[in-house]
Amino acid sequence: MDFGNKTVIEDLSFDVHKGEVFGFLGSNGSGKTTTIRALLGIYQPTGGELTVNGTPFSVSTGTKLGYLPEERGLYKKETVLDVMIYFGQLKGLTKTEAKTHAETYLARVKLADKATTRIDKLSGGQQQKVQLGITIMNDPELLILDEPTKGFDPVNRRLLMDIIEEHQRAGATVIFVTHQMEEVERLCDRIILLKDGKSRAYGTIEEVKSSFNNASLDDIFLEVYGDENAQPERSE
Amino acid sequence: MFNLGTVFRFEVKRTLKKKSFWIMAAAFPIIIGVVFLIIYFSNQATSRAAAETKNQKFSFVITDESGLIDKTLVQQFGASEVTDKTAAINDVIDGSLDAYFYYPKDVIGSKVQIYAKDAGLFDNSRYQAVAQVLLRQSVAPTVSPEVTAILQNTVNFSSTTYKDGVPFDGFMQLIAPGVFLVLFYLLIAMFGNQMLSSTTEEKENRVIEMILTTIKARTLIIGKILSLLVLAFIQVMVILVPTVIAYIFLRNVLSLPNIDLSTIPLDPVRIVIAALLFISSFLLFTGLLVAIGAAVPTAKEASGFFGVVMAFLFVPLYAVTLFISAPDSGLVRFLSFFPLTAPIPLMLRNAVGNLSIGDAIIGILILSVSAAIALTLAIRLFQYGALEYSRRISLGVLFRKK
Repeated sequence: MDFGNKTVIEDLSFDVHKGEVFGFLGSNGSGKTTTIRALLGIYQPTGGELTVNGTPFSVSTGTKLGYLPEERGLYKKETVLDVMIYFGQLKGLTKTEAKTHAETYLARVKLADKATTRIDKLSGGQQQKVQLGITIMNDPELLILDEPTKGFDPVNRRLLMDIIEEHQRAGATVIFVTHQMEEVERLCDRIILLKDGKSRAYGTIEEVKSSFNNASLDDIFLEVYGDENAQPERSE
Repeated sequence: MFNLGTVFRFEVKRTLKKKSFWIMAAAFPIIIGVVFLIIYFSNQATSRAAAETKNQKFSFVITDESGLIDKTLVQQFGASEVTDKTAAINDVIDGSLDAYFYYPKDVIGSKVQIYAKDAGLFDNSRYQAVAQVLLRQSVAPTVSPEVTAILQNTVNFSSTTYKDGVPFDGFMQLIAPGVFLVLFYLLIAMFGNQMLSSTTEEKENRVIEMILTTIKARTLIIGKILSLLVLAFIQVMVILVPTVIAYIFLRNVLSLPNIDLSTIPLDPVRIVIAALLFISSFLLFTGLLVAIGAAVPTAKEASGFFGVVMAFLFVPLYAVTLFISAPDSGLVRFLSFFPLTAPIPLMLRNAVGNLSIGDAIIGILILSVSAAIALTLAIRLFQYGALEYSRRISLGVLFRKK
């Protein structure tokens, strides 16, 4: 994947197994988000592709995809329910199904009373919850979450982790982009560490740890990215 | 494209909920209504003032060297004749006389001179009115009413022209196909900015990534364009319905011309050509405006391009007489077949009846192909410029991304 004359992702290949939570780790600028965007066709990759069960992915292949991008945003002038129903319908739900999904989710994340509130009247955290709700509306088979808990307080972070875990238990495959080592330890089956657009470690958490003399993930992170003054993030 | 209906409904519904849409839609008929009211009350006030002026009496004397003025009439007006012009003018100056009219020997070669006391900007016209009436009524008995009517240009004419052996009214013929030209201007002028900003919202709200991983860019763009068409139709109705109602009920009050719609000729060939030109032109400019919107980061920046696009629609108007009088000239042909200037000359020439079927087909093809290119470009720009939140996407970047 090139941006102008600069190669930002190089010879990167990895498999994500059905039903697992796959951790996508790296410091800022290591190429995590660019890789995800290239896989999803938001950026045009110089080469390579995302295949789901051997079939190249596109929005029209019918794969139930839920993607929570790093850049947060929704239609700000519309109400929470209208936006959720709209995306639900775009994801193939009927209006009634989308409304039911939306109301159930909003009740779950304690935003039921905000259903008819305009998005721009919500706090940043509340908007993020709505966006996660949209991401999981169609019970996706493949869930790609780019730093889903960024900016959340511990209570809501826990709530979101529970929701992600529920989807994984229900059979969803989850690709989880994060800096949070606690989240990685709790959720991920396998991980990949990216640096400068290249893989530096790849496998189960145990495999990765053993390749670094059984160091903790925090220490591995510091060892790989130490020269960039990167710090693994810890929940507050 | 199965999501087209969802995108379409969402876009229409949320636009109809916006106050700005209804303010813009209502503004035009309201402004027209206000203008009509101003004209109506102004006419009323003018008529009233004129009537009052007519009845106002003022003292005046005349000097008639032309020999045209009827002495009896002068007396009936309560005036008298004098011979000393200077003394009469001095009487006006010192205020002892309201007005003095001097009719020279040659009223055509020289001016009838009026000297009068100032009665205000509007009321000063009464002096000339009386001087004119005095002259007209003095000479009226010397000619027949027919001659008077001819000289006063009050004779009515009726003409019938023929084309291919059947009656043909060029002016009436241009009304039906001309409606498409007016509609085109109206829609682009009123909806241009909305078209420009229709795709910037996804960028500004950072919702683009979720959209592009849910539906195809093509589906979103086409859904938006279809919604714009329906919204434009609604807006035209908001303008048209009150206008027609006002015309029907206030036609006489406002002294509007009486147009019998049933007499408007409907030439099916010209109307079909006009409709095809309208549709292809509308799609071309919609595609162009959406493409510009997709290429720039914000609605504010996009609106800066609106004037440039509108220039392509207004510049051809400077050659409007050429479109009618010299349709085969090089300039007219260039403007007719250059995609961005083509809509106006083609629609206008079709309306006035000098666009051949061959030229019409070429024009429609050029506009349709250009519209397809503009729409494809808009989709590519939206897809590849999606994450260019803070900067414009360059054409180089667009075409490099294969």
